[in-house]
Amino acid sequence: MSDQEIINKFMPLFAPTTVAVVGASTKGTALPNVFIRRIREFGYSGEIYPIHPSAEEIDGLRAYRSLAETPQPVDYAYIAIAAAQIPALLAGAGGRVRYAQVISSGFGEVDEGKGLQDELAAAARAGGMRLLGPNCLGIYTPRGRVTFTEIGPREVGPVGIISQSGGLGTDIIRRGMGRGLRFSGLVTVGNCADITPSDMLEFYLADPQTRVIGMYIETAKDGRRLFEILRDAKSRKPVVILKGGRTQQGLMAAASHTGSLAGDDRVWIALSRQTGCILVDTLDQFIDTLLLFQALTPQPQHPTQRVVLFGNGGGTSVLATDFYARLGLDVMPFAQPTIDALAALKLPPGTSITNPVDCPVGTLQQEEGRVAEKILDIIYASGKPEALVMHLNLSAFVGRTKPEVLDNLVQAALRVQSHYPGQAHFILVLRSDGEPSLEERKREFRANAVALGIPVYDEMANAGYALAALQAYERFVHSRSA
Amino acid sequence: MKMHDLISMARKQNRSALDEQAGKALLARYGVAVPLSVIVAGADEVAQKMKPLKFPVVVKVMSPDILHKSDAGGVKVGLKSAAEVEGAIRTMMQQPAIAAVRIDGFLIEEMAPAGQEMVIGGLRDPQFGPLVMVGLGGIFVEVLADVSFRICPITRLDAQEMLAELKGAAILKGARGRKPVSQEAIIDVLLKVGGENGLLTQHAADIKEADINPLIVSDAGAVAVDARFILS
Repeated sequence: MSDQEIINKFMPLFAPTTVAVVGASTKGTALPNVFIRRIREFGYSGEIYPIHPSAEEIDGLRAYRSLAETPQPVDYAYIAIAAAQIPALLAGAGGRVRYAQVISSGFGEVDEGKGLQDELAAAARAGGMRLLGPNCLGIYTPRGRVTFTEIGPREVGPVGIISQSGGLGTDIIRRGMGRGLRFSGLVTVGNCADITPSDMLEFYLADPQTRVIGMYIETAKDGRRLFEILRDAKSRKPVVILKGGRTQQGLMAAASHTGSLAGDDRVWIALSRQTGCILVDTLDQFIDTLLLFQALTPQPQHPTQRVVLFGNGGGTSVLATDFYARLGLDVMPFAQPTIDALAALKLPPGTSITNPVDCPVGTLQQEEGRVAEKILDIIYASGKPEALVMHLNLSAFVGRTKPEVLDNLVQAALRVQSHYPGQAHFILVLRSDGEPSLEERKREFRANAVALGIPVYDEMANAGYALAALQAYERFVHSRSA
Repeated sequence: MKMHDLISMARKQNRSALDEQAGKALLARYGVAVPLSVIVAGADEVAQKMKPLKFPVVVKVMSPDILHKSDAGGVKVGLKSAAEVEGAIRTMMQQPAIAAVRIDGFLIEEMAPAGQEMVIGGLRDPQFGPLVMVGLGGIFVEVLADVSFRICPITRLDAQEMLAELKGAAILKGARGRKPVSQEAIIDVLLKVGGENGLLTQHAADIKEADINPLIVSDAGAVAVDARFILS
């Protein structure tokens, strides 16, 4: 199937013009009523058809008796009624529904529901639709103005997410949003009775809006297909996989969570090595890595190796150097010409001009922070790093410098970036002690930086993991492009 | 015998695994070198049948009922004459663990030249299909679990990376003054087993687990000295 055919196939899901809602009550308190409210607030302007056995009207909308009786065929049906009633509902759709998402649980995730799940899948086929779920939360698709979450960015972004857990999907949106992630979509797939993570992966790979893909997977029943899709995609987009159930104990937890056996850890490592997809272990690493790929353009022709650390905090620099070395990133001292050029700037005592470049606040606030431009220009011209991590310990600035110093430091770095396009990845680490007013300042500063396309991290280690993921991706693409 | 015949014959005999001889025949069909061998029913046939073989040889008992041949006293290595082979077979037939079970015969095999022992394995993952594995033999596999896996089919680059990611990779390159081991010979076997149209992909439905242990790699190339295929 061509990219365009795949996009056409899934567009009714990601940008529906007709939405049916099954399970809304006349009292307006059920989950489907909340869904109706949310998509209206989110700006959805297409048709909404509540389906109800007896009510004439729900939430001010005309209600219909069945999926077969709506004025227009249904692009997307949101279904949250008792599990046992759903197969008959789907089977009676008469080919007029394209995607049905079953929120209800009580299917394959419990022993007594396995038979009902088979019935559900058969009913969806009989009704001529594709099925999402059951046992999931919904879809968040800013381009279609449809969302199951209370909070989520309104703008469309480059990050496409597939989550086998609904709750974790919500976490990804909410936490990711605060970090600056912007999404092309997030689909919760639940028990995957019909549509699997691989189907959604195919869409995001084809979708021009999506530049990086994140998957939370507990089980890959169609692992073979996942492998083949990733292999054939030839790492055209970074794919970050947070895999649940990679240990025996995690596997048991996953089995009770989604109702099927998870694969073995070693097969996931093999998948990553063979296809270039990136495996991460925690939600934080997942968001950190997605953020990096959202903001930065991978440079496979010169994979990230040499990293320059620049900022205030000597011990922090030393610890980060150790940590990055363990991740396979080099923080190596500059060659003599670079050191000589930096020495010629005659920076105040206490400034370390090898790599890591440790500048106390007294140095960084010179010329209201514009001194950074001179330092970085020398580093870029003769040090030739593949990545620059600027780390600022905000506690040391506040009360000692003018407010604009921090902005000037970042602006200085961006100016140098623009003089050396494509040379080095620029990452910002904003360290804080958690004091409320400082956190507030950090929040604003982070938002500004993210708006400028800079990925921002809380600590050196988070940035290190993300950089190591970028390195792995760049190396993979490099090794396969020869 | 055709490749699928080896498997269907084992199934007809209600066997859950290919015996060593059939396993090696399967490998040979895919171009993996195995030692030259003959099968004899007993000591009386030795002088006549083993003429094409070069000494030293190894004798192994063949029985579907014996899982660990060495433990049963069913393996004798380093035999340098037909008389030694005859003697070894007579001794084996008197071992209690051998005398009590069904015997298919005795496998007489040329001994592979000494070299680096490797293990190449395969297994079928219920979700991802056939996987191929490689490791250095002995304690590296058994104690340290120093192995790498890939999903079949693998490419040449995948095979190279599999070897490179072993903790024992330095040994292959010739650590501590030892001669380097031919990685090309190992990669060649990996591709025949796990590559495009390789053994594991072609027999994905039939093979549950495969174990070439050891594969001995020397200047003479890589030879599969023992092989075991468990059928699904």
